[in-house]
Amino acid sequence: MAYFRCRVTLAVMLGGMYLFAGCSKPAPEAPPPAAPPYNPVASIREVMNSVIDPNVDVVWNAVKTDIDHGKQIEHAPANDEEWAAVRHSALTVAEGTNLLMMPGRAVAPPGAGSLSPGIELAPDQIRALIDKSPSGWNQFARALQDSLQPALAAIDKKDPQALFEAGDKIDEVCESCHQVFWYPMPAASTQAQAR
Amino acid sequence: MKTKMFLALLVVGAFCAVQPAHAHHAFAAQYDPNKPLTLNGTVTRMEWANPHGWIYMDTKEPGGKVKHWMIETAAPSQLARHGLKKADFVDGMTAVVKGYQGKADPGLANGRTLVLKDGRKFYIGSVGGPNDGAEPQ
Repeated sequence: MAYFRCRVTLAVMLGGMYLFAGCSKPAPEAPPPAAPPYNPVASIREVMNSVIDPNVDVVWNAVKTDIDHGKQIEHAPANDEEWAAVRHSALTVAEGTNLLMMPGRAVAPPGAGSLSPGIELAPDQIRALIDKSPSGWNQFARALQDSLQPALAAIDKKDPQALFEAGDKIDEVCESCHQVFWYPMPAASTQAQAR
Repeated sequence: MKTKMFLALLVVGAFCAVQPAHAHHAFAAQYDPNKPLTLNGTVTRMEWANPHGWIYMDTKEPGGKVKHWMIETAAPSQLARHGLKKADFVDGMTAVVKGYQGKADPGLANGRTLVLKDGRKFYIGSVGGPNDGAEPQ
């Protein structure tokens, strides 16, 4: 019996040592992160000009009032096809914000400068601001994406007034981001009084 | 037939040429803060639209020639917040707009205040304009 107990103890000890040895073995090195499968082709400026801006214009222009010589002419999508076209543009803007958040995208095409030197920042200045606050940049992009949700909901309900109000919120987000990353200079002072 | 087609294209082209650009830019990229102006004329049209409204106004030049103006305003929600309504834009209305001259287009302006014939005054300036005291505190 004593012999049997001794063998059990030995087995437990050996098992423990085996386990200990196994645990203390250095963990295998994590493989280096794989390169992302995507490949940004267009610059941020080009995404803005080709994807965001033309499509957000469709959302904004979908509902408006033209007051011609006092006569109010209301514009709104008139049929399923027109609502679908606005939805297409709203979705394109919402998904386009993901393009803006993708790392590795140039601010402007190589060699391009500021669109308005001295007023709007040069691409390298915008790059520096984004690199200084990538989370701030992404927050604005997400805010733009979020601002499209009420527009999409309004489109799905075919509610022109709600779409018009959603358009206003989209503009607020655009302007807020532009004032941080595109033309953050203080408003130009002038002696002229427009009072 | 070709002449008709040409004329149609001409009309479409002319219409497109006067459509306001909706892209956002800094105020100073489009308007000259050193060129304030006061426009006294007849409002022919108002585009109550996002992201900016547009007032179309005819003024008379010294020689009697009529000049057409496109005046950018704040977004409609901002205009409404300052008390302006679509119903204020009646046929044949005269008004005074104070604002700033466009840089590239001499018929373009950015409005800061609008005074109607009945004396009511509205702030119509968009975000990023000059600190000229026009904006109500």
